[in-house]
Formats: sequence, C-alpha cells, structure tokens
Amino acid sequence: MVSYDHIIIGGGLSGLAAGIRLARFGFKVLILEQHSRPGGLNSYYYRQGRLFETGLHAMTNFADPGKKDAPLNRLFRQLKLSRKAFATLQQQQSTILFPGDRSLRFTNDPQVLIDEVARLFPESAERFRKLVDLVVGHDPFQPRPFASARKILTKELANETLADMLLWPLMMYGNSCEHDMDFDQFVIMFQSIFLEGFFRPEGTIKDFIDLLLNHYRDLGGEIRYLAPVKSVTQDAGRVRSVVLASGEELAAKFFLSTAGYPATLVFLGQDDPSRLDQYSGKMSFVELIYLIPSEIRSKLRAEDTIIFYNFDSPFDYCCPDEAVNVNCGVICFPENFQDLTIGNECQVRVTHPANYHHWKKLSQDEYYPMKSLWAKRSEAVVGKIIGNYSQNIVYQDSFTPITIERYTGKVNGAIYGSPEKIRDGRTSMSNLFVAGTDQGYLGIVGAMLSGVTMVNQHLLQTSEH
Amino acid sequence: MNKEEIRDVILEIIQDIDEDADISDLQSDLPLRDQLDLDSMDFLDIVMELRKRYKLQIPEADYPELASLDSCVAYLEPRLKDS
Repeated sequence: MVSYDHIIIGGGLSGLAAGIRLARFGFKVLILEQHSRPGGLNSYYYRQGRLFETGLHAMTNFADPGKKDAPLNRLFRQLKLSRKAFATLQQQQSTILFPGDRSLRFTNDPQVLIDEVARLFPESAERFRKLVDLVVGHDPFQPRPFASARKILTKELANETLADMLLWPLMMYGNSCEHDMDFDQFVIMFQSIFLEGFFRPEGTIKDFIDLLLNHYRDLGGEIRYLAPVKSVTQDAGRVRSVVLASGEELAAKFFLSTAGYPATLVFLGQDDPSRLDQYSGKMSFVELIYLIPSEIRSKLRAEDTIIFYNFDSPFDYCCPDEAVNVNCGVICFPENFQDLTIGNECQVRVTHPANYHHWKKLSQDEYYPMKSLWAKRSEAVVGKIIGNYSQNIVYQDSFTPITIERYTGKVNGAIYGSPEKIRDGRTSMSNLFVAGTDQGYLGIVGAMLSGVTMVNQHLLQTSEH
Repeated sequence: MNKEEIRDVILEIIQDIDEDADISDLQSDLPLRDQLDLDSMDFLDIVMELRKRYKLQIPEADYPELASLDSCVAYLEPRLKDS
C-alpha cells in the first residue's frame, strides 16, 4: 500500500492551503479531490467558451501588502507566496437596502459606513462608533460558547433596524445558523467586510487556483482528481488508511478532512441520522447568473459592487418556507472593481436564500421549469432595484441547492456548512482533523486560514513524524 | 557549523519567511519577534525550516530559547556542530 505523511481529503481552498503548508516543510502529502477540478466551492466552469466563476463574488479581508499583521498578508507569508506579486482590485462601493428606502453605503474605507450610519440614524451614531471600538478590541479566537450577536447588538445600538442592516451582509457572506449569528463570528465578519473590505484578484479564480496548485506541486505535493473517499479504516483510535470509491486503499500518518463534518462522520461510519442532522446546515441558496451587453449598464443602477437588499419585515435570515425567497438577496456586479476593464458583455449575479428540500423532491421534468419560474420571480424583484434587464439577457445560467450539493458534497447544499463548528478541528480519531467551512472560518481567505491553522496546531508541532 | 554560520542561516531563514524583513539593524540580544514584527505563525516557520534543513526537532518547551539572535546561536551551536 502506498503510504504518505499526510492525506488531505478535498482539494478546495482549505485543502490546497493545508497541502502547501505541509509540502513546504518537506512532508510527503497527497490531496484527494472527488471532482475533475480543484477549488471546491470556489471553482469555475466554461459555457459558450466563456469562463464563469462559482462562489467568488468578492474576496473579503482586503489589506495593502505593507500591513504585515492583516489576515490576508499573514496567509500569503504562511503559504510562502509573494503578496506583492498578487495584484488585487478593490471594490467600488456596496449598499445595504432595507424597507422604507433605507440604504447604507460602504466601501473599503470604514469612515464611509460610520458617516452613512450617522446620516441615516443620527440618534445611533455615537453608539455605532462604540460598537466599532468593541469589535476592534474583541478577540474572536478565544474559545467561548455561542453568544447571540443579535442580543449584543440590540443592547449596544438600541436600534433594531440598524442591527438588522448590519447583520444582513455579514450573515449572507458566511453565517451557517438561522435567525442569529455567533458574536465571535459577527466580529470576524465585521472586520473582514466592514473594516477591511471587498476585493478580487486581478485574474480569475482559475488563475488563483492555478497559482496555488502550481506552488503546491513545485513543493513536491501530489493531487489526485476523481478520487472520492468512501470510508476510512481504523485501528485503536487512529485512522490507518482511506478507502477510495474505486476500492484502492491509501495509508498515512495523519489525515485532514475538508469534506465537511457530516461527510467526515460518514467516512468514519459514525453516520446515525440524528448526529448527521445536528451538523447539517439549513442555509442554502440559488444563484442566477446573467450576461448582459455592457452598453445597457448606463440605463441600470449599476455602480455598486454588491447590493444587499431585504424587503421582508421583520427581517429574518433563515431557510425560506417556499423554494426561494426573492424578497431578500444579493445583487453582484462582478465587473465593478476599481481599475477593471469592462468588455462588451458584463455579468449580473443574484443570490437568494433557498429551501433545499423543495428542490430535492423535484423530478427531472419539474426541476428545469421550477428554475425558470423562480428566475422570472427574481427578475421582477431585482428589476425594481436596478432597472429592467430581463429584455437584454444574452445568456443566463443558474444553480440551486442541488447543484451545490452535487459539486461540493455539502450536505443539503449548505455552503456555509454546519451551524455547530468544530473549532479545535479534533475528531474521535487522534490523527484525523477537520479543516475548512466546518472548522469555523468562512470565505476564501477564511477557508485558507483554516487549513493553515489546523496544520500549524495539529500537524507540524508533533514528534510523531 | 560555527556561530557565524548559524547566525547566517537564521538570517537567511527570516528573509525567506518574510520578503519585507529588514535585518540591516537587528540587535542580536533583543527579541526577534518585536524587532521584525513576527507573529507566532511566522515564528513556527523558523522552527519548521530548521527541522527540514537539519532534521532538528525542537520541542515546544524550548521555543523561548530562540527568542533573540544570540540565544538562537547559543541554543543551536551544540545541536548543529556536526551539520
């Protein structure tokens, strides 16, 4: 049997980051990816000769290369990649829209949001400034039980609408719980989005994944595609090997699973339904992707990078009763980044919360009409915000919770994973750890930091090698 | 390796970890972390790089011995004398 120092299950961004970190220090590492392509939630596909990115609207945690202690720059140092050589484009601006024409604009300069809060909610301006101080002074990485961000915000801001408006983008960008958010998670997301901000790589997500992959291979790392793991063999509290769907068995001293906690429990044979349900997220989404001619941009409200809108009152971040909730969503103009040249066609991407079970029960014959139906309903609502674009669509595509589940292995299509995070990355096996979405950090930068952190904590500082 | 060689190795590793590290006026008796603005994640890289290059296992309890350039040299000299 072929044997490795480390086997990493999953070639998404957390798995690639972990792999680079281990290969960098001379370990023999293998990444097993179930699909024919790396990237996991953040990947790409081609339609009509054009590359479409999945997942990526914008990366969070923008920081200039000189800011050494910023998460983005620490990540690049840890991976031994040059931050200076990584060209980034910052967002233009983003807007939060709520009922009653309330809107809050924010950019990568936190002062803009502070001024906007003072304009819209003058009575809460001082309290908001204090909240920013509270966030900056709070260390979210100390182990603590769940604390309700909603309760803390209600107390600190004494303004429920403002609290909801702040929560909405942060929840939409990475909250696996319904209705509320853990305060530590709120602090991480507040820093990542409101204080540091949105950017994207100058190239595509494919360029970024290729950069990571080439670096990993140059350091001696191995990756195998179309290699789904079926189970693991165990011996005295340790994992001995992974068994692939093909029946092939591969051994290692240590294992890191980025396949999600429920999938990891299945590998271990600890798959009783109530336990799986406890760690299966309920938040999933549909995304509609449109190509429109760039010249019609002048007739649309198209100056934002991202619009986070909500027309539901009261606001509630949850799995909808219907198949899709078009009353709230995210409208992204992926071309709206500073210094990005816009071609003849541009994209509009719209994301709404969706109910996995409604989509799961559909037959093949019902599935496509259902997608068209909800796309129409979405266009009617989004058209009211940005102007009518449905007459001008050159090409359109969409994905549902079912698409997400099929391509990422995320149970219930829950992209943000389990509402209960495995913060320390430990499992019932002493040499098997979890990283990625279910360990706790979210987004591209967060997932990669999760891979790096779990390797640092569990796999580098051990004398067992 | 002698003291001077060990010193050079440490400086080389630091520059390898951080493309912006300014080692020109490093005080050899003061903590590296403060002077170079290194965090614990960067510090781990020094330990791992020594492990990779010289098969040297440094237990976590000994990490304080690597605080300054002088203390690194003192700690590593007996351990790398045959390297």
